[in-house]
Amino acid sequence: MIFWLIGLGVLVLLAFIIYYNRFVTLSNRIDNSLSQIDVQLRKRADLVPNLINSVKGYVKHERGVMSEVTKARKEFMTAKNFEGKVKAGAQLQSALGSFFAIAENYPQLKANENFLHLQQELAAIEDKVAYARQHYNDSILSYNNLCKKFPGVMFASIYGKSVKKYLEIPQEARAVPKVEF
Amino acid sequence: MPQHISFDDQIQRNKIKSFLLIVIIFAFFIVLGYIVSMVLDPSYFFIIMIFATIFSLVYVVAGYYKSDKIALASVKAKPASRTEHRMLYHAAEGMAISSGLPMPKLYVMESEEINAFASGRDPKHSVICFTTGALKKLDKQELEGVMAHEMSHIANYDIRFMTLTAVLIGMVSIIAQIFLRSLWFSGGRNREGKEQAILMVVGIVFAILAPIATQLVSFAISRKREYAADASGVKFTRYPQGLANALKKIKNESVSSLDKEHRVSKAMAPLFISDPFKRKVQGLFSTHPDVNDRIRKLEAM
Repeated sequence: MIFWLIGLGVLVLLAFIIYYNRFVTLSNRIDNSLSQIDVQLRKRADLVPNLINSVKGYVKHERGVMSEVTKARKEFMTAKNFEGKVKAGAQLQSALGSFFAIAENYPQLKANENFLHLQQELAAIEDKVAYARQHYNDSILSYNNLCKKFPGVMFASIYGKSVKKYLEIPQEARAVPKVEF
Repeated sequence: MPQHISFDDQIQRNKIKSFLLIVIIFAFFIVLGYIVSMVLDPSYFFIIMIFATIFSLVYVVAGYYKSDKIALASVKAKPASRTEHRMLYHAAEGMAISSGLPMPKLYVMESEEINAFASGRDPKHSVICFTTGALKKLDKQELEGVMAHEMSHIANYDIRFMTLTAVLIGMVSIIAQIFLRSLWFSGGRNREGKEQAILMVVGIVFAILAPIATQLVSFAISRKREYAADASGVKFTRYPQGLANALKKIKNESVSSLDKEHRVSKAMAPLFISDPFKRKVQGLFSTHPDVNDRIRKLEAM
């Protein structure tokens, strides 16, 4: 009888440890993927001055679009919290989108090696931001599944863990960048 | 998520299989040493056994830690340069982010054929190698699709088992072939009876072993493994059409272009995303699942 009780106790203890570790692992994964988004957004912002420099000589009449890009970048650099960064990052993305659309009209610019390199680099970063976001939401999904399913739901209430929110794409980023000629 | 559990199972199975493989190869050389010493002269028993133990230890340890290097060297792969193969790096970085895996080291091998393989002992020590043909002929989405497929091999620990099989068993079959040939050529010379007897015994052991070893290499790849990598690769890209298009391009490639360059060793074949030998008949012993079937499954996703 006593052996059974001890065995049961060990099992319960083991379950507590395993679930605790799973919560830790999964929330670490969330933090990690969050910082990955941050890294990519920062990389993009860092490339903007280079881009502005490389096009300065070519695009003289497009001040509006260029200032839009600079403004979005500035907003990103001064953003205080992560949500502000994501929002500013989305603005920067759409500003860059319209900028590259306009750049199509400048054949000399499109022949510029440096510009092409930056364009490729920024396109790749855009993909990486999307992938980082996807991984973040995937991580949230696993975490939330753990929180909501049985028996995880029991441990979640014991450890005081609750479901986390998905990363929403800001409204304005969903709109297709507007191009005016 | 039942799917998640099955992937964990697969990782566990791959680790166990890799361990068993190492034990079997280790035991094989010990047993071989034992047979040799028994036939030669029991008084040499200890010396030969010590030699056999050291040899097999070195063999499996080197196989475990250097398998990726051996695999890369056997296809003459070179490290990919960041400036020259920018698209490759972008695809790898994107897939590393979406899968949450560490960034693999990237290599390029000279070949017109579209192909790629992943190797290494775990995700932290992983390499991915693309052919120059793949980099030339695949567009961005297709490259990402193939990259995601290779990344899932890494995530599932397929690379450990597959590379170990290719390297450890592949080497045994190479040793066997060398041995059999030298036995053939030295047949004319006069030798003492005992020496002859040992060579005969070892020769017979290898003669039996060589085809079995080659077969084992083929079995290292299971269709299930490839389908699983296709499926979890799509989880990384969220775009099944990319890999499907890449497989279509592989399918439509002219076979003649690669007949000239049969540089890939047979042991390495299972590592690649598509069979480098392009056997026409899909049979029980083909190493790769039917490309058409894979495309069909991807397009149904």
